Amino acid sequence: MNPLELTLGILTAVGGFVDISELVFAAQAGSTFGYALIWVFAFSTIGIMVMGEMSGRVAAVAKQPVFNLIRHRLGLKLGLVTLAASFISNLITCAAEVGGAAIVLHLLTGAPAMLMAAVMTAVVIASIWILPFKWIERTYGLLGLFMIVFAVALVKINPPWGAIAGGFLPQVPPGLSTQELLRFAYFGVAIISAVLFPYEVYFYSSGGIEEDWGPKDLPINRVTCIVGFGLGSLLAISILSSSAQLFAPLNIDPQLPGSAVLEAELPMGRLGLLLALLGILFAVAGAAIETCLANAYSVAQFFGWEWGRHKKPWEAPRFTLTWIALFLLALAIVLTGIDVMKLVEFAVLFSVLVLPLTYLPLLLLASDRHFMQNHRNGVLANGLGWFYFVVIVIAAAAAIPLFLLTSGGQG
Amino acid sequence: MKPQDKIQLVSGLLDLPILDKDYRYCGIVDDLEFEEADGALRVKALLVGPGAYRGRLPGWAFRLVGWIAGKRIARVPWDAIAEIGSAVVLDVSAETCGLHSTEDRVRRLIPHRGAL
Repeated sequence: MNPLELTLGILTAVGGFVDISELVFAAQAGSTFGYALIWVFAFSTIGIMVMGEMSGRVAAVAKQPVFNLIRHRLGLKLGLVTLAASFISNLITCAAEVGGAAIVLHLLTGAPAMLMAAVMTAVVIASIWILPFKWIERTYGLLGLFMIVFAVALVKINPPWGAIAGGFLPQVPPGLSTQELLRFAYFGVAIISAVLFPYEVYFYSSGGIEEDWGPKDLPINRVTCIVGFGLGSLLAISILSSSAQLFAPLNIDPQLPGSAVLEAELPMGRLGLLLALLGILFAVAGAAIETCLANAYSVAQFFGWEWGRHKKPWEAPRFTLTWIALFLLALAIVLTGIDVMKLVEFAVLFSVLVLPLTYLPLLLLASDRHFMQNHRNGVLANGLGWFYFVVIVIAAAAAIPLFLLTSGGQG
Repeated sequence: MKPQDKIQLVSGLLDLPILDKDYRYCGIVDDLEFEEADGALRVKALLVGPGAYRGRLPGWAFRLVGWIAGKRIARVPWDAIAEIGSAVVLDVSAETCGLHSTEDRVRRLIPHRGAL
């Protein structure tokens, strides 16, 4: 195991963990329910560790990314349904990321957000065209480490650490009205969806193929998932905790993606503000690239096209045209003027519906003796995997009723 | 697994990705073509391309896919298969079986410069 590669892999996973949905829901969860939803973040993070490790292991051993084998497992019809559903989910998520990055650029420069959305799209398209996969992943992942400012800001405000630690225990705050309970449940489902977004396993397993993983890389895969995702999740929990400490007592509802930066500005001044804006910008731009590439990977893998950014763009031409078209489509959605918060809500809602279709074939593949041989799921991975699958199915079933009953979490 | 080994056609072959001898992706096993030999059926070719979805999708979905992606079918002779595992690996180039024509057509539309 190369220590430099391992460190870079972990740091990339940390910097790339938080996306616009986690940012928004962490800030809102903290301001609305204090520390009571920290455990949902922690619980979901264990889920993405389990599923991420599985998808990386399938890629390393079967030498095929997850979506390539989803169709083989589910068949053409159900595979096509999965492709269509994940396509819509990833596209909305990508548009939410582009819109979020545009707002941050607007806050940084004062230029109109729509113009910034176009600039941002041009920059990420140029990045993917010019840089090979590893550089893209590392550049945006490592620059996303500016997000650590949120953890530093939390330490600076000297929060009640005991209350934060207590938030890791599964709980429902006492004394909530029925409507508040429904809202608490909606936030819980939204956090599960945001942490376990389907694009994450498509991107992660395809990334394993892009980097030519083999069985020798399984330890790196495992450590990256556990340590990288774990530390990344602590950043989201820092945002939630600062929000609980700073916004909740003042009844401030951080509705805009830019509101979270106040958590760094209040204790750290202009430097904190700048670092927080840069952190969010790179984390969200990285997530936009991941969602867009995950979508292009899925389409190309489903139809058996050449794919990957370890190849030159013209060596995988249909894949290249697909990711460019998807970015332009995401930009077009943002340019309609739709509220970014609505996009975030739709992304989370649609994604949770797709989650069972994403994770069922992954579980079947990772347990398959034929494909995985000695590296198939053991008792622990299988037990955890199926447990989280049941949770995901329940979350998917509850998502639309909760969305309607709470008017999208507004109460 | 070699093509002469015992293979479960649906669970072990259908819908697997296909790689040519240079390990380039060149399609999916969309359907199978059979022929009769000595009173028994044997697989003659892998069918690749959206035209092979007929019978596997409802009529409306097949027409929709055809409208978007066309209805071409390429036939990969069974003898061209080198190995079957998590993908079908051929021992010939994709071009030999007519599998890379669309990829090659689209390639001409893309500038060949600027990438590291």
